[in-house]
Amino acid sequence: MVGSNRTVLGNGIVHVVGDANVSPEQEKEVRRKLVEKALEALKSG
Amino acid sequence: MRVVHYLNQFFGGLGGEDKAGAPLEVREGAVGPGLVLEQLLGSDAKVVMTLVCGDNYAVEKQEAMIALALEKIREARPDLFVAGPCFQAGRYGMAAGALCSTVQKTLGLPVVTGMSEENPGVDLYREPLYIIDSGTNAARMRDVLAKMANLAAKLVSKAEIGLPADEGYLTRGLIRDQFVEQTAAQRLVDMVLAKVKGEPFESEMVPTAFAPIPMPPALKDLSKAKVMLITDGGLVPKGNPDKIQGSAATRWGSYKIEGCDDLKAEDYEISHGGYDPQFVRQDPDRLVPLDAMRELEREGVIGKLHDEFISTSGLANPLSNTRRMGREMAERIKQLGVDAVILTST
Repeated sequence: MVGSNRTVLGNGIVHVVGDANVSPEQEKEVRRKLVEKALEALKSG
Repeated sequence: MRVVHYLNQFFGGLGGEDKAGAPLEVREGAVGPGLVLEQLLGSDAKVVMTLVCGDNYAVEKQEAMIALALEKIREARPDLFVAGPCFQAGRYGMAAGALCSTVQKTLGLPVVTGMSEENPGVDLYREPLYIIDSGTNAARMRDVLAKMANLAAKLVSKAEIGLPADEGYLTRGLIRDQFVEQTAAQRLVDMVLAKVKGEPFESEMVPTAFAPIPMPPALKDLSKAKVMLITDGGLVPKGNPDKIQGSAATRWGSYKIEGCDDLKAEDYEISHGGYDPQFVRQDPDRLVPLDAMRELEREGVIGKLHDEFISTSGLANPLSNTRRMGREMAERIKQLGVDAVILTST
């Protein structure tokens, strides 16, 4: 994406760090995992 | 030719960084480089007024400074407005660019300024303004002023302005129609052949280049880090108090989340015309992951979640807005002592 650093792929446009297709508990997991990946990226490079 | 000239505290003779807070002052006649400018513009030109302002004042109180400057400029009835040249000085360039573009738009006056290509003022103002490429070396002041004077004379006499390379101004990103000898097909084939043979060729259109930004060093210890959330998905408090536009937004806001574990649907709305907002409306954490970050903060994975999140709308937003907003946000973030940012984008 235009050479930007530390870009993590979100879960689509309409719920970048969420998921409307799963249960609320599962969604919390999805969100947590994405945020953790972002934090990993901050520690990398 | 009546000329009004704008200078910062240094070139205006007030002093150095220590005088960067100086408010706008009005001086009669030419000051410092203005004396040379006047000479170069010719015997019928006179710098009737010089505006001198501290770089910090010009940036921090920009609206007020510009309003006052416009008043004074109107009174002076000039034929030309010149600012700088600013060389590398960033705050100076930003102020000169803002002032020049306002003078041009509001008073309809020809304006000229000068900056080095890397000056942040160039990024923001190269399209509306003629900015002479001054390079970074202030010792070349006279040469730069000569180019500015040349261009200024043409603007005042409404003569045709040549290409950037000819007149010495920075490329503006504009396309101009011209009659040429060869058809596009012939020119293109010539370019391709040259490229294939390893010979030099000049592209007629250069795509927008983003200056490569060096990657900031990785966080060493996440558990001690202060992390902040930002979004370009246009999530704003109900009522959109800062009136952030849904498209081509010129504003951004910073919103308190102190003591919040979870963004509640009833407290927020979306100002962004580019995606179906129903899912984020149901649960704003789907865009700004506050709940997950709070958990991680509580568990000690991160040191602290900063108690505000920044938001704007990235939809159809020209670089002239987003580059400025990005810089403003970065200034704020630096002041807050934030170590890292997670920016969620739709």
